[in-house]
Amino acid sequence: MAQSTVNRKDSIDYYDMSIEQLLSMKAHGVPSELEELINSLILAASKRPLTARESPGIVTLITQEEIRNSGARDLIDVLRLVPGIDFGMDVEGVVGIGTRGLWAHEGKMLVLLDGQEMNELLFGTNQFGNHFPVDQIKKIEVVRGPGSATYGGFAEYGVINIITRTAADIDGVSLAGTYGQMQTTTGRSNFNLSAGKVKKDFEFSLGAFLGSATRSDKNYTDYAGQTYNMAGNSDLNSTLLNLGMSYKGFSVRGIMDLYQTTVRDAYDSSKVTPYPMAFNSYFLELKYSGTLGKQKKLTIVPKLNFKSQSPWQTLPGQDTTSPPYFKDVQRYTGGIMASYNLTRKINFLAGAEAYLDRSQDNIDSSFFKDGKKEVGYSNQAYYFQGLAKTRFVNFVVGARYDMHSNYGSAFVPRLGLTKKIKKFHFKILYSNSFRSPSVENINLSSSIKPELTTVLEFEAGYQITRASILTANIFDISTKSPIVYYDSAGTDNYKNFGAGGSRGIEVEYRIRSKWGYVIANYSYYSVEHKDKIADYEIPGVSSMLLAFPNHKANLNALFKAGKYVGISPSLSFMGERYGYTQLDTAGNSMCEKFKPVVLANLFITVSGFAKGLTIGVGCYDILGSKYAFIQPYKPLYGNHAPLPGPSRELLVKITYDLKAVKKRREKSEE
Amino acid sequence: MKHLGKYIVLSAVFLMTFIGKTEKAFAQDVDYKTYTLFLYNFMKYVEWPTTEGDFVIGVVGESPVKKELEQLAKNKKAKGRQIVVINVANPNDAAMCNMIYIPSSKSAELKPIYEKVKGKSVLIVAEREGLARKGASISFAIDDDDALKFDINKSTLDSQNLKIANMLMQLGILVG
Repeated sequence: MAQSTVNRKDSIDYYDMSIEQLLSMKAHGVPSELEELINSLILAASKRPLTARESPGIVTLITQEEIRNSGARDLIDVLRLVPGIDFGMDVEGVVGIGTRGLWAHEGKMLVLLDGQEMNELLFGTNQFGNHFPVDQIKKIEVVRGPGSATYGGFAEYGVINIITRTAADIDGVSLAGTYGQMQTTTGRSNFNLSAGKVKKDFEFSLGAFLGSATRSDKNYTDYAGQTYNMAGNSDLNSTLLNLGMSYKGFSVRGIMDLYQTTVRDAYDSSKVTPYPMAFNSYFLELKYSGTLGKQKKLTIVPKLNFKSQSPWQTLPGQDTTSPPYFKDVQRYTGGIMASYNLTRKINFLAGAEAYLDRSQDNIDSSFFKDGKKEVGYSNQAYYFQGLAKTRFVNFVVGARYDMHSNYGSAFVPRLGLTKKIKKFHFKILYSNSFRSPSVENINLSSSIKPELTTVLEFEAGYQITRASILTANIFDISTKSPIVYYDSAGTDNYKNFGAGGSRGIEVEYRIRSKWGYVIANYSYYSVEHKDKIADYEIPGVSSMLLAFPNHKANLNALFKAGKYVGISPSLSFMGERYGYTQLDTAGNSMCEKFKPVVLANLFITVSGFAKGLTIGVGCYDILGSKYAFIQPYKPLYGNHAPLPGPSRELLVKITYDLKAVKKRREKSEE
Repeated sequence: MKHLGKYIVLSAVFLMTFIGKTEKAFAQDVDYKTYTLFLYNFMKYVEWPTTEGDFVIGVVGESPVKKELEQLAKNKKAKGRQIVVINVANPNDAAMCNMIYIPSSKSAELKPIYEKVKGKSVLIVAEREGLARKGASISFAIDDDDALKFDINKSTLDSQNLKIANMLMQLGILVG
């Protein structure tokens, strides 16, 4: 019997509950819907669960419910609603992520899927657009600040921790199908199957996603002024299998992620015929988590990880005008973490991990530097975290030390002070972080070093009522010697060059009650008076960087209309942006201003009327905006004109939850 | 850092404006009915050497828990004994109680109360976490997920000639 049930009963029943039921009692009584959310435990910011308001990070928690209600098509739709997060255009049709005005695509934003590092190891990137199936997600913890002290060299600017539904969450089979119709072509047709079963100590879960989508059906005009329609030239096809099993403390996780795109935009000039590009990844993790001692104060977590990837893959003959690219990379990681609860409020956590990277060039005519067909590197890392919760303030102190066989060491400490005092909470965070050079960074530049970042963050929040909370934070980011891509006589290259950073403010208001919820946020960044990297600068504009607007605001809401219907409008406003578009008649690159844009969406779900069935219909980009993904940098070679986003897209999504069928039947039999 | 100060001031002003306007707004406060439920279970699963007379619970100072305990006393008995709730204004009153509840705000009273009831069968329950290590028989604790838990000092209980049932012992954490 949960506390929410018991409290509604009279006092005699309440005091007659069994002693075991005391375990479920909350000190602050029955939480409101908002309190359940803001008091839910966050793992990503500290590797030890702490409530969102006390977690030592600026964190956004996105729930399965919010994702489903909004009708989000993919992770771009989900993450765009997070303060500070935005997207930009890289090359060859790949859309990458930025945060707080900074381009984080190459190895600066860690994406974890059930604990597996999804960033590809050759360049450190993640590719967005009908990738990472949203139907499998239980929640996403977005740490909008650095996480290197915990996670290492891909978490310099942030961590996106995607947690899929567990066997217990699914407890049966769940099917989801999505069809999207853009203005002139099919937007997407996706299918997802999730299955899960718990039998005593054994748990099994499977997520299987098969999706086919189009980036856009608008016309793309390349840097040289050539135009083609993107329908059929910007496919985003994804197959993702995610298998998890656990028995007592042992667990196994296997993920196969096959992402294939169709490329025609290429670099400066587009191609006459499109060609396929593949990003294939395989992950395997064996983990044990066990507690030691009578009072279970010590938890030991040894684990082994294997990751094999072949990103940016174009096989011989697929692109007839450019050389093929086919490199494999494997990472073998072994690690152990120990967590010791000295008291209920004092925890020490320490760990060590080591990995070996191996990469092979599979094309006969191409090589790594010095004519090698294979390269290998190793890294060892040690980290520590101390957490003390006192009546006045919570302290978090941590550090991580990495030693790499090629580029040497990186040491990143962090310090956090957090506290919730009744309705008010605050966080003061100081973090060093780093970006580790990837395999290709090392290959293309033998002298490359990790780039180092210092971030200061201050957050204050106030729970206005039991249903609403206002949170605001400011941040200051300074990056030294960033790893910058540059062109050297038509050849890719990287160097540590200059300095960069941004500062700004993010404000979010949430209200959540029986009628639904509203999440409204605003984010602002500026690079005024910050060091800037020339390739990211806008000529004549000192406060902004290419591609990312100073001002961004989002709204995500749900209004329940009766018992079965949910109406969910969502909206993203992006202020004016700048990007290079094409060459002028004199052959100079033209930097243009893009007007502010509003992406308005509406999704309506009908559920609960029949056996586990949920039907959703909606429209994304109702206003038919002219949104385009802009390249956030300006290289000498590899310029990319802004890539149009999807046109107005009508969506139908059907979800069928077989667990609900079973439960309903059981209920009717009773 | 030139504009950082400006942002801080603006943020603070923004937040303080809300704080001022919502002073009477309701937030999630401690649920003392839950604490009372735990105290009632302590009465049921702790064995006192005497089983006669009223069961006297003393609350040190003012606390909302007193009102909840008085409500409990109207409806329930402690193993057949009438429950009586009194206010413990000074440590000398403690010796007449079977159970003493020390609210967080009165944690400083633990030491003098402990000295007064040393060796006597008075269950000292402290609201503030950690006091079971400092003389209380039982002290409450709140987990990160807001679950209400308690620590038990078995040595103190033994010295008080109080026996605790295994079922209750398994729910708490032994700290002494």
